[in-house]
Amino acid sequence: MNLEKIYQKRHKKSLGENGSGFIMASIPVIGFVLFGMIPLILALAMAFMYVPGKGNIADAEFVGFENFKEVLSDEMFWQSIVNTLRMAISLPICIVVALVVAFLLTKNIKGRSFFRGVYFVPYVCCAVAVSLMWELIFNQNHGIINSWLGLTRDTAIPWLTDSSTYTLCLIIIGIWSGTAYGIVLYGAALTNVNRSLYEAAKVDGAGSLRCFFNITLPGVSPTSFYLLTTGLIGALQEFTRPQMIGGGNGAGPNNDGLTIVFYIYRRAFEYNNQMGQAAAAALVLAVFILIVTAINFVVSKRWVSYD
Amino acid sequence: MIKAKKKKLTAKSLLSQALIYAGLILFALWVLLPFSLVLLTSFKGIIEANSLDFTWWPKEFTLQGYEKVLEYDMGTAYEGVPLIISGFINTLWIVIPPTLLGLFSSAISAYAFAKLQFRFRDKMFSLLLATMMIPGTILLTPTFIIYNQIGWVNTPLPLMIPGMFGAATCVFFMRQFYSGIPTELIEAAEIDGMGYFGIFFKVMVPLSVPALLAQALLGFIGGYNDYLGPLIYLQDPEMYTLQIAMNQLKSYFAGRNVPAMMAATVISIIPTVTLYIIAQKRFVEGVATSGMKV
Repeated sequence: MNLEKIYQKRHKKSLGENGSGFIMASIPVIGFVLFGMIPLILALAMAFMYVPGKGNIADAEFVGFENFKEVLSDEMFWQSIVNTLRMAISLPICIVVALVVAFLLTKNIKGRSFFRGVYFVPYVCCAVAVSLMWELIFNQNHGIINSWLGLTRDTAIPWLTDSSTYTLCLIIIGIWSGTAYGIVLYGAALTNVNRSLYEAAKVDGAGSLRCFFNITLPGVSPTSFYLLTTGLIGALQEFTRPQMIGGGNGAGPNNDGLTIVFYIYRRAFEYNNQMGQAAAAALVLAVFILIVTAINFVVSKRWVSYD
Repeated sequence: MIKAKKKKLTAKSLLSQALIYAGLILFALWVLLPFSLVLLTSFKGIIEANSLDFTWWPKEFTLQGYEKVLEYDMGTAYEGVPLIISGFINTLWIVIPPTLLGLFSSAISAYAFAKLQFRFRDKMFSLLLATMMIPGTILLTPTFIIYNQIGWVNTPLPLMIPGMFGAATCVFFMRQFYSGIPTELIEAAEIDGMGYFGIFFKVMVPLSVPALLAQALLGFIGGYNDYLGPLIYLQDPEMYTLQIAMNQLKSYFAGRNVPAMMAATVISIIPTVTLYIIAQKRFVEGVATSGMKV
């Protein structure tokens, strides 16, 4: 009796569950409205406007679909999409390598924590340092690759300034820095695959390869799906590495390093009066990402098993 | 017969064991060789680093690269303070306050979403869910215009203020964590007369220190490595973060002094790599759980 009274009294003093909960939960929601929703609405509006100067919104004019027409008829924009997709080739390679490495790590071996520790290091390295690191490796005049190939000054391959090798280099860099995340996620997922399934398979006389393809692979399919979805969203917004490794004009040889985000960045911040076109291009990219993600989800029903 | 079969099996398992080690060592080399190359090059002389006649080990160890990087100050208002150091200090005070405050905002909100009943709870939560669906690129231009209107461009505020409200991914992660804490514990605290805020600070926070630490580390690394944000908003060299300072150092040293460039690279990754080595377990935990629940 008494206890209940005290309990009620104390409860009255405080805000009550309804109020407290609302206040506590609201901070990130307010942040989202201020820094997510309002800009998003503005982004939609801007895509249909001519915005003079470097974002002089007060003098903006409504221009209908002009921005979209300009962006979609711009060859550079289409090239930036192709460039981005070509660089994204590193993603499936990353996923496969990460799975293989994580699988090897589950074996009974010595020094597992050492290997695991080493493999994760690229994840904490900034893209800027990674770019500089690989520029050193691929450098035409003093890079280790050319030296290993035994090339001289005259025969040296300009890896990063030649259109035929540039994208390949960026894919390699992407693989180097992109596998760490997958190794960690697969590491966690592999330990969760049901042990008894392996034992049952062993009794049935299945070899280790068959076990891998019939038990392990389906077992970690949610992780593969997660890596693919988030990886694609990230890959479609690639910017830092190609921007840092640009040869000369900043977008690589032949503009091969001009990714979609790079294209948007240029229009918005390097050119004048182009904010509207940049917003239109960003909207196209957002729709593209949405479609790709939706396809991903639909197709996933065929190969991802959640049990 | 049986014995022979056994022997064959061990030979086979030895071979597979060897293959596993070979694979793991090869992959470790693939990860580490670029690092060692950068480290060794940073100790080379300019001429040696520019030669195609490549050797791993510097013929002559010199610290000239480090000296040059630590001398370069761009002649700005920070005269005397090397760009790389001012960049590092700027990064710290631009990244740490939003990381900590944002973590608090995310955690307290996660607790409310996980354990409290209140009006609009589900609506608010789905609103947050929507945040994660918006690709960052689409907000690039409108946020710039807004910050321009309120005079935030060329200040660190656009990089700091939004983060203080917390991050949707962090809310999701912490909500998952708090859902796992038994409700009886909270009821017991309620009977002891604690309010909801008291319960959060005295019960939930102490219970979730490892998870919070993991999130803080990931948040810090993310901020430390951010490139596009500072590139857009910070125009004065005095405000440059480390990443932007690196960009400036590159345009100054590239081709002129390769070891200096590599010294800068080494300096720039030392903080994050050290942090990783100290708190490896937390890091991996944070990353692993971030992808568990989709």
